[in-house]
Amino acid sequence: MFTQQLMNGITVGGVYALIALGYTMVYGILKIVNFAHGDVFMMGMFLGMFFTQSLGLHYLIAFPLAAAATAFVGICIERIAYRPIRVADKLAVLISALGVSIFLQNLAMLVWGTETHTFNSGITVQTYRLGSVTLSNIQIGVIVLCCVLMIVLYVVVNKTKIGVAMRATSHSIVSAKLMGINTDRIISFTFGVGSVLACVAGILVGIYYDAVYPTIGYSYGLKAFAAAILGGIGSIPGAMLGGFVIGIVETFGAAYISSGYRDAFAFGILIIVLIFKPSGILGVKHVDKV
Amino acid sequence: MKRKALTAVFMAALLAMGLTACSSGGGSTDSASESDTIRIGCAIPLTGASAQDGQSIQNGAQIAVDQVNEAGGIDGKQVELVVEDDKGDSSEAATVANLLAEDSTISAVVGHFNSSCTLAGAPIYNQAGVVEISPGSSAAAVTDAGDYTFRVITTDAVQGRYLAEWAVNDLGYQNIAVLYENTDYGLGLAQVLEEAMADLGANIVVQEAYEVGATDYSTVLTKVASSEAEAIIIGGLYNETALIAKQRSSFGLENMQIMGVDAIYSDALIELGGDAANGILLTGYFSDASTSQVAQDFIAAYEEAYGEMPATYAAYGYDAALVILDAIQNVGADRAAIQEYLSTLEGLEGATGINSFDENGDVIKDPMRMTIENGEFVVIE
Repeated sequence: MFTQQLMNGITVGGVYALIALGYTMVYGILKIVNFAHGDVFMMGMFLGMFFTQSLGLHYLIAFPLAAAATAFVGICIERIAYRPIRVADKLAVLISALGVSIFLQNLAMLVWGTETHTFNSGITVQTYRLGSVTLSNIQIGVIVLCCVLMIVLYVVVNKTKIGVAMRATSHSIVSAKLMGINTDRIISFTFGVGSVLACVAGILVGIYYDAVYPTIGYSYGLKAFAAAILGGIGSIPGAMLGGFVIGIVETFGAAYISSGYRDAFAFGILIIVLIFKPSGILGVKHVDKV
Repeated sequence: MKRKALTAVFMAALLAMGLTACSSGGGSTDSASESDTIRIGCAIPLTGASAQDGQSIQNGAQIAVDQVNEAGGIDGKQVELVVEDDKGDSSEAATVANLLAEDSTISAVVGHFNSSCTLAGAPIYNQAGVVEISPGSSAAAVTDAGDYTFRVITTDAVQGRYLAEWAVNDLGYQNIAVLYENTDYGLGLAQVLEEAMADLGANIVVQEAYEVGATDYSTVLTKVASSEAEAIIIGGLYNETALIAKQRSSFGLENMQIMGVDAIYSDALIELGGDAANGILLTGYFSDASTSQVAQDFIAAYEEAYGEMPATYAAYGYDAALVILDAIQNVGADRAAIQEYLSTLEGLEGATGINSFDENGDVIKDPMRMTIENGEFVVIE
């Protein structure tokens, strides 16, 4: 049972990690929390369902289209809801983010209804037994994709020109602008990448659990946000690590202590870590100069 | 000050509504037994969150009234349903209860729907000596609400216990896994099952909670797989049940029996669960697959009148009105006589089963046993 529960934990943790990357990247660049990100994940799921089920496209065509559409949603959110008030108080952006979150949920309810839908992607879940442990192709997919995407993200941020621009923008938007970097484009790019990752997570959840509904982004978004904070918000490896830690801790807590307190374990570990290391596990401590 | 003025306006409006209701009933203020129509109250939520259920109840009750009227009424008198909106709000329910209780032409009342409303109306109906029959309040507290408070829906405990007896006595399961949603409803059902299993001498080997709307059940299913459980009993709703049914095959549990109460009875269970939903066993009181002639006649009449299939609460609304009409047919429209008749009523067949009342006014009836075959609900004889 231990190994099986570990695999269960890693699978949900991988999903949290993919969503957490979106939170952490946006925070890294703009120092704001994009509370609508959980709903971007939900939109990714519905768009994946829309392109496969409603338009009847093969998933190899449908999923990239869904990812592109979700990226477009993310970029639009930044353009419409965040950019006009970027210079305003951070609290204004927070309220705006909550507004976007409510808007996206209601949009999904209006278009697809409030009921739970099946995902029907055309990919069937296959399970393999290894001794006492069962693993499915989707579980393996979640874990492999997480690792691959993290490496890709790491290379993009650290080894490419746009990565340098991202890091510069993250350091100081004003200085980056003075150096000739089109910071608006970098910010749009960041939102786009974060949204694509959320869409990937959404599609994986959709295939694996075969259920989509408009408020599904809330609990996933909240856990992923906790994962980003736990790992050290702003840090890409931190978000990955935080996702896996939250996934494994909540699974083991539910398995060995009490399943009724599953969420309490997820947020409990966050509180404990923050008491001892307020910047998160891999977070960098910033000294504010007055 | 402003609030007082508003209340006054509101009360005036209610009074006006009451008056028009009276005048539409022939302008008669005679007592129930002397007027030329028989009037039954129907106090249900027609606005607010429970509006849809309230509308179903009204439609269902109207079918029962229409059936009696088409057959020539009762002693030559036509029956009229007097509908009042309690908005699903307990203070509103008290106002409506006063209105109906003070109108002496009202013989008995179908209502209320929400347990909080039934309980808010109960002291008023009991003091005025008018019967209220709830078509939807399943809370335990309604049992002790008074001699004039009845209901045609059973408590959650009745179904939970029935399910436990089915699993242990008839199917022979000795080791049960209980998965329940982390709400008052799920917790209450889990407790009922725990007590019932203890009484029946069976073991609950796994008892795990899940959050409403959860998508991942791998943790709890892994625990079930590593236990001795022979069947899973669900204390929750259809969406979660469908996901549990679908995910169980990943843990080598594809042949694990899943059972539940009527909270999982929904087409969504089949749509979402697909092939995995086949073979699920469940209890329920009303289904379009019902083999009862009364239920099938009700469904046909409802479809003809409203052009849609009746929801479960429509059937309960029908039964609540049916019980009242049966009483009036036997003992007349006198309020006290109706109460006396109902307190000993036994074996009245309605759309949701055969209704008898215990000494507390709670209905006693056995649910149907159902399963899903090839994506359709089927009643097990």
